Amino acid sequence: MSARTPRWLVGVLLGALTLLGAGLAAETGAAEKVFRFACACDLTKVYTFAVEEIVQAQKDYVELLNLKGGVSGHRFEFLVEDSGNEPQRALEIYERFKRQGALYFDGWSTPIGKALTPRVLEDRIVLGQMFVGRGDAVDGRTFPYVFPMGATYWQQMARAVEHIREREGGAPRGKKVAFVYIDSPFGREPLPVLEELARRLGLEWKGFPVPSPATEQSAAWTQVRAFRPDWAIIWFAGPSTPAAVREALRIGFPLDHLISVVWIGESDMKVVGEARARGVLRVEGWHTGRDVAVVQEIVREVYEKARKGHGPVERVGWTYYNIGLAEVVQLEEAVRVALRTSGEPLTGEKLKRALESFRNFDARGLRPPLTITAEDHGGGQLTRIGQWDGARWTTVSGWKAPFQDVVAEQVRKSAEEFRRSGR
Amino acid sequence: MFYRQCGVRHVSYAADWQLWPLRFERLQVGALLLAAASAPLWLPGLYLGSYALPVIIFATATLGLDLIMGRAGQIHVGYAAIMAVGAYTAVHAVRAGAPFEVGLLAAGLASALVGLVAGATALRVKGLYLAIGTLALQFLVEWVIVHVPAIGGGAQTTLQAPAVRVLGVAPVTTLGARYWVALAWCVLVTAYMLNVGRTGFGRALVALRERDYAAAVLGVHVFRYKLLAFSVSSFVGGITGAVLAFTYYRAVTPEQFGLDVSIQLLAMGLIGGLGRVLGSFLGAAFVFVVPIVISTALPGALEAAGLGLPVAVLSHLQIIVYGALIVGFLLLEPLGLAKIYDNVRSYFLVWPFGYARRTMG
Repeated sequence: MSARTPRWLVGVLLGALTLLGAGLAAETGAAEKVFRFACACDLTKVYTFAVEEIVQAQKDYVELLNLKGGVSGHRFEFLVEDSGNEPQRALEIYERFKRQGALYFDGWSTPIGKALTPRVLEDRIVLGQMFVGRGDAVDGRTFPYVFPMGATYWQQMARAVEHIREREGGAPRGKKVAFVYIDSPFGREPLPVLEELARRLGLEWKGFPVPSPATEQSAAWTQVRAFRPDWAIIWFAGPSTPAAVREALRIGFPLDHLISVVWIGESDMKVVGEARARGVLRVEGWHTGRDVAVVQEIVREVYEKARKGHGPVERVGWTYYNIGLAEVVQLEEAVRVALRTSGEPLTGEKLKRALESFRNFDARGLRPPLTITAEDHGGGQLTRIGQWDGARWTTVSGWKAPFQDVVAEQVRKSAEEFRRSGR
Repeated sequence: MFYRQCGVRHVSYAADWQLWPLRFERLQVGALLLAAASAPLWLPGLYLGSYALPVIIFATATLGLDLIMGRAGQIHVGYAAIMAVGAYTAVHAVRAGAPFEVGLLAAGLASALVGLVAGATALRVKGLYLAIGTLALQFLVEWVIVHVPAIGGGAQTTLQAPAVRVLGVAPVTTLGARYWVALAWCVLVTAYMLNVGRTGFGRALVALRERDYAAAVLGVHVFRYKLLAFSVSSFVGGITGAVLAFTYYRAVTPEQFGLDVSIQLLAMGLIGGLGRVLGSFLGAAFVFVVPIVISTALPGALEAAGLGLPVAVLSHLQIIVYGALIVGFLLLEPLGLAKIYDNVRSYFLVWPFGYARRTMG
């Protein structure tokens, strides 16, 4: 017989069992007045570039709200755990946080949103998915508990094409557009909208798929160069975004004719080189920077006075920071409305109704006016075009939701398909 | 004391051949089965739905993978793709109106077919080269699912798994019912894997694993048995994939069967112990549950110690602890958790008479 199992190993095993037991025991929550919202975030794999900033912002704002005594007597609590972007782990986290009383979830990830959708519809818990996820989720009749509360990828593509139309003096016929995208469901999502708009406007377009994870794009951009486009639209997220900008620079493509999906931020610009990246355009559905009262309040109250910031202070006001912040500001408003109109205790259903009562709510200056109804969870889907000036994002074209008929038609077709066949 | 071997005499071949010759172990297995079968009656929903259910499904998948890796010695890095084929086949079959059982069978057959084709590479290459060959299968299947709308449903879509009935009568809608379906399949595969080593097929696989030239010299038809091993293992994987889709996710997306899932299945097999039925269960439980335990216990422990770390650091720390645990276990016991169990068992086999010669090991 081989060597005996050492004593200490038995100890380790027993310790692990005890921990498991403790975990089993510590399940019940307290009965004080708390509003809990949760994130089964990807903090370690693909979306860390954005999620770290988002989580920092949300923790900071929860800190601020609780410093001020909560909202209508309710303390805010933010439950966050790393899901590694794996749907099965997110499901486990969801079930656990659900039992702890979380009424609002966000995964900041399309695969996780997809895995959670059937469950939130059943459990009547609100699933937020700002700027991510399936485009037809804005249809509140089909997805009553899913809230995109912003432009879907379809609407973002429409906004990018609208910018090209504007800049070409309203007559872009014959202009060449290169669409360079990650060859994943996320990258392929806007294709039908681009196809339809190109047909309508007479654009000549060509798609350049780059296999995931798309950090090596030189072959695709060499082809782009051969195509000689007037405009390029890029659809990446994470490390593939700076890779695309760098390749565009390499082939000598003018960056002020390069439009990105929303997932491009300060951290990406640092990777490319802040000065070199000057000119890059992006679709925006929120306001970046510190020139908003609520961001300044966080810097003052949370970072300077209370010294309880949850990350580096220089990130406050950055792209993803403000996106995360906007989500909690929207939640704060929803909780306030829900408690005022339907009273305690808070439920997912009340939260949903409160969100659906938003009329021109601008999230304390962080968002364009949002109007959410029971039919439309997109909130108007207004977006604008921002440009990197070498140090910060500036605005080059204002809030718009162009080509709504094309996008609405996509939503109608897709939502109908979901209702009919569960796709 | 517990494992009383005194008085165990085998007077028939059947008695000599039984799976658990010791009464104590028969009782153990019986109690375990009873506990597993009655779990929906006493286990809270969170643990049933988020721990027990996925663990038994992934253990079943690991068993299927173990047939090809542990028994036949062929490395397989694309097992999640095999499961994906099964899951998509079953969901499409059921949506087209086929009964659940037919859907499962179709899943198994479709996966077996795909597995057979992939297995054909094993006839030419071995070891790391075979790993690359099966890796190609993983990417091919993923690519096809994402790019063929008739299969994947187009960009961004999730195919919802319809509600099903077992034998046309019992609806599989509640968590308990879904758990029982998964458990039934798990018990079936476990029984098969426990016994396959004693069949001509199982022995042929072991011969292949040890040295395929030698096996051929001994009269084992290498070509036939390699392909058979791949298709049987894929059959199991296909149905397990379908069970995963219908009972756990209740929907299918390509991400549920990505490369990392294949790697996790490999890890489950290796950490548990290759070629061991118990190993598949222990490995699946370890890989699935330990990260969760760490992520619930570690932040609390650090908080109590007065170390409030940023959430990003914390989540990476969990991965470090988890990785250290894996390395630690494998360093200490390269034969996996099942071997650790064996050591404990063989200690108790003669306990308290540690000096006695151990038999029935």
